[in-house]
Amino acid sequence: MLDFPDQPFGALTRQDYDILGFMSGLEVHQQLLTNSKLFCRCPAGRRVTRVDAEVLRHMRPTLSELGEYDGTALMEFKTRKEIVYLLERRSVCTYEIDDTPPFEIDEEAVATAIEVALLFDLNLVSELHVMRKQYLDGSIPTGFQRTAMVGLAGTIPFRVPELGVDRVLRIRQLSLEEDSCREVSDVGHRITFRTDRLGMPLTEAVTEPDLVTPFELQAAARLLARVARTTGKVRRGAGAARQDVNVSVAGGRRVEIKGVHYHRRLPLLVHVEAFRQLNLLRVREALADRTLDPSVLAIPDRGLPWETSDLAADMGGVLRHTTHAPLREAITRGETAVAIKLPGFAGLLAHPTQPGRDFGHELAERVRVIACPVDPQFFADSDHRGPGPSEREWREVRRELRAAAEDAVVLVWVPRDDAATAAREVVLRAREAFDGVPAETRQANRDGTTGFERVLPGPDRMYPDTDTPPLPIADRVVAEVREHLPETPWARADRYLALGLSTRTAQQLAGAPWADLFDAVAPSGTAVAERVATAFAQRLPKYRRSGVPPEAHTAERVAPLVRALESGAIRLEATGRVLDQLAAAPTANVGSILDRYRAGPDDASRFELALASVAEAAQHMDGRSPGTLVRWGMGELMPAFLGRLDPALVQDRLTAALSAVASEGTR
Amino acid sequence: MSGTTDPYRGYRGPTRALMQRFDITVWCEVRARTTRGVFEGLLLPRSETSDELHLVLKLGVGYNVGIRHDTVLELERIGYREAHYKIPEKEFPFDPTHPRVKLFGTGGTIASRLDYRTGAVIPAFSPGELYGSVPELADICNLETEKLFGVFSENMGPEQYLILAERIGEAIRAGYDGIVVGHGTDTMHHTAAALSFMVQRPPVPVIMVGSQRSSDRPSSDAAQNLINATWTAAHGPIAEVLVCMFGPTSDRYNLLHRGTRVRKMHSSYRSTFRTLGDIPAAMVEDGIITPLKDDLLPRRADREVLVQATYEERVTLTYYYPGMHPDVIDALVDRGYKGIVIAGTGLGHVNRKIYPALQRARDAGVQMYMTLQTLWGFVQMHVYETGREILGLGVIPLANMLPEVAFIKLGWALGLHPDDPAAAQRVMTTTIADEMTDREPHDGYLIYQGGVPEIREFLGKVWR
Repeated sequence: MLDFPDQPFGALTRQDYDILGFMSGLEVHQQLLTNSKLFCRCPAGRRVTRVDAEVLRHMRPTLSELGEYDGTALMEFKTRKEIVYLLERRSVCTYEIDDTPPFEIDEEAVATAIEVALLFDLNLVSELHVMRKQYLDGSIPTGFQRTAMVGLAGTIPFRVPELGVDRVLRIRQLSLEEDSCREVSDVGHRITFRTDRLGMPLTEAVTEPDLVTPFELQAAARLLARVARTTGKVRRGAGAARQDVNVSVAGGRRVEIKGVHYHRRLPLLVHVEAFRQLNLLRVREALADRTLDPSVLAIPDRGLPWETSDLAADMGGVLRHTTHAPLREAITRGETAVAIKLPGFAGLLAHPTQPGRDFGHELAERVRVIACPVDPQFFADSDHRGPGPSEREWREVRRELRAAAEDAVVLVWVPRDDAATAAREVVLRAREAFDGVPAETRQANRDGTTGFERVLPGPDRMYPDTDTPPLPIADRVVAEVREHLPETPWARADRYLALGLSTRTAQQLAGAPWADLFDAVAPSGTAVAERVATAFAQRLPKYRRSGVPPEAHTAERVAPLVRALESGAIRLEATGRVLDQLAAAPTANVGSILDRYRAGPDDASRFELALASVAEAAQHMDGRSPGTLVRWGMGELMPAFLGRLDPALVQDRLTAALSAVASEGTR
Repeated sequence: MSGTTDPYRGYRGPTRALMQRFDITVWCEVRARTTRGVFEGLLLPRSETSDELHLVLKLGVGYNVGIRHDTVLELERIGYREAHYKIPEKEFPFDPTHPRVKLFGTGGTIASRLDYRTGAVIPAFSPGELYGSVPELADICNLETEKLFGVFSENMGPEQYLILAERIGEAIRAGYDGIVVGHGTDTMHHTAAALSFMVQRPPVPVIMVGSQRSSDRPSSDAAQNLINATWTAAHGPIAEVLVCMFGPTSDRYNLLHRGTRVRKMHSSYRSTFRTLGDIPAAMVEDGIITPLKDDLLPRRADREVLVQATYEERVTLTYYYPGMHPDVIDALVDRGYKGIVIAGTGLGHVNRKIYPALQRARDAGVQMYMTLQTLWGFVQMHVYETGREILGLGVIPLANMLPEVAFIKLGWALGLHPDDPAAAQRVMTTTIADEMTDREPHDGYLIYQGGVPEIREFLGKVWR
């Protein structure tokens, strides 16, 4: 597998992804359409930019219930961030900023979560236990997210005709949790968050890692969103649904890409991640070929690495006058420049990982996130040409570190207090190269690449919320929700198939926002139904984009058209045109629009006259091919008879009339 | 704790029967086949205050869920994994150049861990545990700890005050450079008042500290409070009984409040402790103590301290309300109460209806003192006729002494002079630790009102 060539996105087949051992799964976070936030009575769904006050906090790791510090928690603590929360009076109260314990859980949210869990066919728990899931990145002022498991282990039909997919999708779990803050900025040791979104209820649906191509992943994300939306009780719009994606390839490790807002961005992201993992495995292989092992990268946990380890050296003196301006300026500012030797790594830092990135970036990102350098340029390594110290300076650095030709050298410059952390992180990340792919959480970039965010948290970061009592979910409540369950997209698709729609039309309609309109106008007869469904799909999204008000196509306005189609009073070909007319005149009388297309008693005689006049005009159009003439003639005739006469018949008559004219001309 | 070895910890009735039927105990990994599907996880002890109808499983993904007993068709044991929750305990490093600090524990949540029995947080306390969770302490002092009680704040009372005062006295005489008292926050100001009277003129700081957010959470105020309190005790120049808690709700600085002027003012805010009727004694942040008042008692090298640990429990604090009937006072007299602190309205008033009861109490030798529900301001009973009448009934005004402080002081004064009412009265009306002040500074009463433009401007500029 390691010799599988790097391929651009779109060039791979399903079999290729099989060879890679590509696996992915989704975590879909969907905000619920409640009036209040989950644990306080602040209004949900206010998005603000106004700031009335700010609060400053820090986070410290704590122990989980089973007695271990969580790896992520420790990492975040190393970053020693100042966390600033921006507060706006109307969207946030003392609960969100952790100055008041939680109020009772929002019942509306619980009911919706149960409803979604039932739609996902999950095994419902009997009692909700609110847990605290630690997040020390500051995105939640308490340092944890309150979250409760609602249901586990369900399956839903997964049919995507265009991908040849027809199986079930396994849903691992659904939890109900509070949303986090929106990040405003993250500079050096200060990260700033807005709190308007904080505490809003959302469900997190997690699939099993059964999605074996990037496109399946995208289709599954769409399906999950659709299922949630059938309740009519979830939020829509920017940021209302966000997905985390778990990806791995054979021999790799689960990597989580966080907070992807758009389904269309998913496939490229996971494709790039698959190859990043493949490349990290190649780096591992290269290390093995060089018969290196992690012991070459031992560094003491405490003290200053450049005093306690041969792998690091303080370069502030040697490089004081370096030609590399960012480094020189940093040293002048009093920052510490540390060089780190990575024995046997020469050349590997330039090993590509993602488009435009290499293994050196992996080290740099760790330092950026964990040691919080002030300067955007804080890193250079010996595998790179381009900006950095000169050849001569590199040689001096190597001499200082007693680095051999086969060793790679990294230089970082950060504020003094962060230098030890920075040096240690470089070594730690390099050591992880022996493992191949570190389990981590990554942030999605616009270009499809990802950047390190944090070490992937384990179950250790979960402990019970002592502020909230368990909440029983009685059979009676479940029965009530079950009784009013909305129709699922797959049940809907089945119903449309039974109506005689083609598989593709049925699947598409079942997931479409206009499915309700379709049901309300209830076309009968396969041909009419197929035509209406197709016309909706072709036209309604376009109307929405061009600003046509939804009132133009209410069921009341569209139904008379459908009835006329069913009775044959208007022929099917006019369907699209009538919808256009309704769009063009959203308040016009529907009857008068329909009358333009309704068959009338004098249609036949009017047609004869029109045909004669077209034939007459054709006589003066010399030199055109018969085909051109027919197309021209149809354009002249059809608008007046759309919906009234069969276009095939019109064409036949026109063709005959034109050839009669032509033969007359010859004579 | 008796229940720790119970294999069915916290389970009663039907859930306990179910566990017995399938031979399952807590800490078993189980597969539960139920009418709602199959669930797998670690069977956790159940909080005793929760119902007896649900089993608690910890799933592999870390979540806990409840399984109702009557949905269970079968429980299968697939493993056993007992969890031991433990703060990583490391030996507290000794540095001969650091001051010696004694930390007395009374309970509360200064350092804590989760208790499965109640689902609540219980304290963890040894120097090693503290060092494991707040390693910064080792850079401040050589810390020794002693757990005196394991009670929550609301269960602290006279019995504990006496022990605490004696032990602080002993620690001072034993040469500690500072004392820290870890305490639950609810009644911290009562204990602070008690210590202010019982431990007079200590040569070193006596610092009370607690936390409003338990230390089992990442956003806890416990670590900052403990660091600042320990710093103040070890290095601070103020030899008084002080409460050291968050100044603003932001993680910025702590305030040091005099033990007799401090009060918990919000049920849950971090910045709940405020000095009333005066300004706080000092601020402390990052190893820097900034005095705010200019009459602070300085640290001394001697080991002299006046400890007067005594208390008369038959005193009470009565919060007057309109329409109060005299029998409320009568009942106290009949039950043998020796002293009553009244929290009166306005400048120190009660209604006429209870005059006969006050008269009866005075005649029975019950000492009565007037304090204010307004908390800020002075009792001034000469302004209105009502006040003058009440004075005539033998009720003694206590200036701007806070009601809770007056209550604690009265118990202490009557304890000091059980058979000498005049002496007790002299103690009550003589200021010992700033419990009454001669004057109220212009900034001793600041309750900002949100929404007002000038305050909005202030809040826009300052991390409050």
